[in-house]
Amino acid sequence: MEDQSGNGTIGAVLVVGGGVGGIQAALDLAESGYYVYLVEKSPSIGGIMAQLDKTFPTNDCSMCILSPKLVETGRHLNIQLITNAELQEVSGEAGKFKVKVLQRPRHVDIDKCTGCGSCAESVFDNLKERDGQIWVDRIVVDEAKCTQCGDCTLACLAENEEAHAMTNVVFERRKLPELPVEQREGIEPETLAQRLALMDDESRKDFWQAELSKCIKCFGCRDACPVWIYDGAELEDAEWIKPGEIPPAVPLFQIIRAYRIADLCVNCGMCEDACPMDIPLRAIHQLMWRQSPESVFEVVPGLDSETKNRLVQRLKEEPAVNTEIAR
Amino acid sequence: MSTDFVLTVCPYCGCGCQVYVQVMDGRATGVVPCRTDEISEGRPCIKGRNAVDFVDHPDRLKSPLLKRDGKFQPISWDEALGIVAERLGKTKRKHGPDSIGVLASAKCTNEENFLLMKFARAVIGTNNVDHCARLCHASTVVGLAKAFGSGAMTNSVPEVEGSDCILIIGSNTIEQHPLIGSRVLRAKEKGARLVVADPRRTPIAEFADVYLQHRPGTDVCLLNGIMNLILSWDLADRDFIAERTEGFDELEKKVKEYPPEKVCEIAGIDQAALEEAARLYGQAERGSILYGMGITQHTTGVENVLCIADLAMLTGNIGRESTGVNPLRGQNNVQGACDMGALPNVYSGYQLVTDGTARAKFEEAWGVELPQQPGLMATEMTDAAIDGSLKAMYIVGENPALSDADINHLKKALRSLDFLVVQDIFLSEAAQLAHVVLPACSFAEKEGTFTATDRRVQRVRKAIEPIGESKPDWIILSELAARIGGAGFDYPSPREIMQEISALTPSYAGVTYERLDEGAILPWPCTSEEHNGTRFLHKDSFTRGKGRFFPIDYREPAELPDRKYPFVLTTGRLMFQYHTGTMTRRTPALERELPTGFVEINPEDAKRLSISQGQWVTVESRRGKIRIQALVTERMLPGVVFIPFHFAECPANELTSRHLDPEAKIPEFKVCAVKINKG
Repeated sequence: MEDQSGNGTIGAVLVVGGGVGGIQAALDLAESGYYVYLVEKSPSIGGIMAQLDKTFPTNDCSMCILSPKLVETGRHLNIQLITNAELQEVSGEAGKFKVKVLQRPRHVDIDKCTGCGSCAESVFDNLKERDGQIWVDRIVVDEAKCTQCGDCTLACLAENEEAHAMTNVVFERRKLPELPVEQREGIEPETLAQRLALMDDESRKDFWQAELSKCIKCFGCRDACPVWIYDGAELEDAEWIKPGEIPPAVPLFQIIRAYRIADLCVNCGMCEDACPMDIPLRAIHQLMWRQSPESVFEVVPGLDSETKNRLVQRLKEEPAVNTEIAR
Repeated sequence: MSTDFVLTVCPYCGCGCQVYVQVMDGRATGVVPCRTDEISEGRPCIKGRNAVDFVDHPDRLKSPLLKRDGKFQPISWDEALGIVAERLGKTKRKHGPDSIGVLASAKCTNEENFLLMKFARAVIGTNNVDHCARLCHASTVVGLAKAFGSGAMTNSVPEVEGSDCILIIGSNTIEQHPLIGSRVLRAKEKGARLVVADPRRTPIAEFADVYLQHRPGTDVCLLNGIMNLILSWDLADRDFIAERTEGFDELEKKVKEYPPEKVCEIAGIDQAALEEAARLYGQAERGSILYGMGITQHTTGVENVLCIADLAMLTGNIGRESTGVNPLRGQNNVQGACDMGALPNVYSGYQLVTDGTARAKFEEAWGVELPQQPGLMATEMTDAAIDGSLKAMYIVGENPALSDADINHLKKALRSLDFLVVQDIFLSEAAQLAHVVLPACSFAEKEGTFTATDRRVQRVRKAIEPIGESKPDWIILSELAARIGGAGFDYPSPREIMQEISALTPSYAGVTYERLDEGAILPWPCTSEEHNGTRFLHKDSFTRGKGRFFPIDYREPAELPDRKYPFVLTTGRLMFQYHTGTMTRRTPALERELPTGFVEINPEDAKRLSISQGQWVTVESRRGKIRIQALVTERMLPGVVFIPFHFAECPANELTSRHLDPEAKIPEFKVCAVKINKG
């Protein structure tokens, strides 16, 4: 690609971000003859638009607009996708940049993966046929949710003894504490959600008690949340959360907030970003994805049973998703 | 429909978070966090998030008001300014310039405070200009100036994160300075140790490694005890003391008189906890002290501050990154109002009025002769008004009728004035006593700069047009000065006022709107256009040369409990309200959280008096009594009660005492004797 124009510039372009904006930019550039590198942080392109039902203000079907573009981007000869990756450094000048990209491990060797889906089945008991479809040829281990149980690796080994596709990172991380220090190099430490998933109830309770006690009730998590569609009365109900108290009822305040958006949360992390006291709110939602909203009290323990029962009853009377607005 | 986002500074506490004001069709509709702001990082607290809700409240003053037969009537600006100019002019001619007092405002911009100070000194011809710093950090300004030569926070807010031991004394950091509190917790996450000393168990105490709940007013004793232990374990930084300080021998002699046993007896704390606190701070590599009004609002305010300065110098925890003595200023621009010389004894940049060279400089710049003697402090103006030597007052953006100690006395003083002008955005308790009320603009309607607690100068930008007929304070002052006959007040915009400030104030010499608008962060001293501001003070030498140790003796508070008034009352602020509530009580989200005040009382005391949760009680002191609901809580020590001072319906300051610190003249808000009765 170098020096085609003869003036030292390069005919390739790097697009950062594989949301709909990045995709369209990549396609337009590729069509005009540039070679495009499309870097995306998550394992797949599509971004938030792929999670939406309708688009504002025309109420057009979001996926109907996006999916043709996704397919085109994936197949375009002038576009090279670099997913699960982040831009670390940019140097040089306009026309000739040099960039450093960090690609995170997928924990699956795509060349070896046959798309059988056994790994996914090993983790989820009631895997539907459609779920398997999703996993095929897109398979990736989400570090936020992986508890390093190693089941997927075992399933992969059982399916394909010669060339199993799950890289041993997944398997080894489970044994991280047992490994000698020199072998740990290159193995990423656990994420907070993983650490929490492996904690026992008592230490998890202590953890949340300490974190949620930092809350100064600024309502930033609620105000910043893109899917919070309630009028706010829930968190301002004096029966549950006494006005003017700091920290607000631990863990009730955060449980009610998290429960309310359990089905809608897109894990954008705005709640955590908005928190002046650095409470790891995102971890609550990541845990809630793995467990049903009903078990939220086990995720963030610390409530007495009477309050718990009253709260469950109350929340069940009002559906978690306000259907009127959602429609 | 037009929309805009205007970057400005939050009008509440001294943290100085920059936020965007969201403007829709000329109305300020909301606040959007600013992610690149160094202090808030896009995460303001609840007050910041609701900062514009009061801006177009129906109660805003929309036209000048004149009191006729006890009732306010709207009048025109022309008429109002005419009356004010005439009455102030007449008072000046008849009784002399020193019969007029001016109160500036920690809520106004630097430019406006500078202009007000210029108005008082150059137009009226008096040094009787002061502001509410007298009621909060006057002790700091005096105390730290004596010890170090500069009365401000020594280090910047982001540096708190890098400390390895933080000593917080008399500061409710999480509630009053949430973004600094957040940094304290971050430091703790990184492994720093946290020592908290406060008679009231505030939220930050829950995170402390060592919590000392000492009796109100025993701070000197406590700090001397810590120094005693540090010296006896030989944890003092001898090199630092020898090289950078003076007067150490006297201090060493003095703190020997405070063995831990005696200290624990007086302060009512556990000796093991005191030892642990001394060990943690004494051994710290980068120890930082944060303090608030629990230190300053005492008759021993200056002495408390000097003790803190002693402790920092003793361990060499000053003049380096992430260390220092950090008074947390309570208002968005109280630092700036002090810097601008809205104080009776100094011009801008703390240049003394008694210093002939400084005075000559200002006289030359302004072309008038300036008064030579320091003027009356805010707390002295009250007495002067009652004894008749002060005839008129001009109060800008302050509400002493709720914030000053012993407000019955203050109201009597305001009533006995011949003429009172109040310039504010709402009809505050003080404005109700005024003869003429001038409607001013809120932070969202004017240009200027605020100086945050860590000395950083930041731009305030105009988001919307003034509400009603209100005018920005600097315009009102310019027009008024012109009518009274002052020259040199014809500024086209605050930019030109800042140019004058830079020219006359060495520590602000490099501060220009151009640099601020480019995003430069400029904590003063910023001595030239090339200077990038000073993140932490006293790096190689103290502002005064050598740091000065002051040996301090413990003195008891002025009013102690006795048989008739058995409880100690301490006052303070709460998270969801702010000062006299003129702004927060008109913000629905905040008013919902805390609609009224309460008296916090220990369960033991409550049981003895058979007071139950939420019951109405009467709290009475020698000066007044209020009816208020009880909040029974473990936060308080037995024998100590707490009342927030925000609420006009149960004003804590009807009870507080007028005993002043001898030097800083700050009232003792934190200790007075009260009794409690049911009903």
